Amino acid sequence: MTELAGRPGMSGPARLERRYRRLLACYPRAYRRENEEEMLAVLLACARGGQQRPGLAASADLIKGAIRMRLWPAARPPRTVQTAVRLVWVGVAGQLAALITNVATAGSVRSAYARMYPPGAVAVVYHSVAAHLVADQVEEATAMGVLLVLAWALVRGSNLARFAFAACFGLDCLKMLQAAGQDAVVNAPADMAVGAVAWLLALAAGVLLFTGASNRYYRPKPRAVTSRHQTFGTR
Amino acid sequence: MQEATYLILTALAAGSQHGYGIIADVTEISGGRVRLLAGTLYTALNRLRTDGLIAVDREEVVENRLRRYYRLTPEGEKRLAEEAARLHANAAAALRRLKPDLTGGVA
Repeated sequence: MTELAGRPGMSGPARLERRYRRLLACYPRAYRRENEEEMLAVLLACARGGQQRPGLAASADLIKGAIRMRLWPAARPPRTVQTAVRLVWVGVAGQLAALITNVATAGSVRSAYARMYPPGAVAVVYHSVAAHLVADQVEEATAMGVLLVLAWALVRGSNLARFAFAACFGLDCLKMLQAAGQDAVVNAPADMAVGAVAWLLALAAGVLLFTGASNRYYRPKPRAVTSRHQTFGTR
Repeated sequence: MQEATYLILTALAAGSQHGYGIIADVTEISGGRVRLLAGTLYTALNRLRTDGLIAVDREEVVENRLRRYYRLTPEGEKRLAEEAARLHANAAAALRRLKPDLTGGVA
């Protein structure tokens, strides 16, 4: 933070400029290359006389703009793709919630097992349960990461991501069938219910990704491809 | 169309302007109600450029600072005209239905 205070010899405007540049660093590199100098000129023109630090509202607005620029490409995808990607984000949130629940309740699951089994058997069961819990946590964290990457790629019109999503959905179907085969409906109804909701959301996202408007977005005509790739271009 | 987008296009309708010019003009057009912040302005400009509603007109360097001027494209003019007609029709409908004393005798 001492650096933020600026060097003592620095003039007010130079200090303000440096702080604005630091905020602009949140924007994607390609965008900054094209627009940083211009935006800086506007920010400095908007500054009040003697102002030394960016205002709170202006800073928040810049950060919001940077996040938007990173999450959504400038060419807005069709509504079907937008909705599908939002559903994928719901999936990410769901996996995060599952992971947090798993980590938070791991201790009580272990002690429940410890009460269920005779002292001699506890050590063996304990290890197998612990391994199971860790495996679940790794699976949830991986699924979350995969969904995040997919959401990012889907919104940018990656056709590969669309088929990767379909493949993940296929795997999820197999997992659901396997769980149903192990009588999970009887033994873990809550798990199955949550799984079923997630499955329905994924199905909806999958259908949206393969409908008319989405197809055009993922398999555009050559001209549309170039326009999508020069998102930050000046020309 | 979002209000900020509409006001930016309106600011450019009379001729090309640079970023700070647009901010000042939008404040004036909206009677001081809308004060655009730089982040919002450039998010909108980037989108409008990609959608082909505006284009870069020219660049100037004033006091060592880059000024980029933007102008409406024919497509941008068309979209602004459509949006203005839509808002006008909506406003007219509201004014017709309101009691005359509420509208200051306009209807």
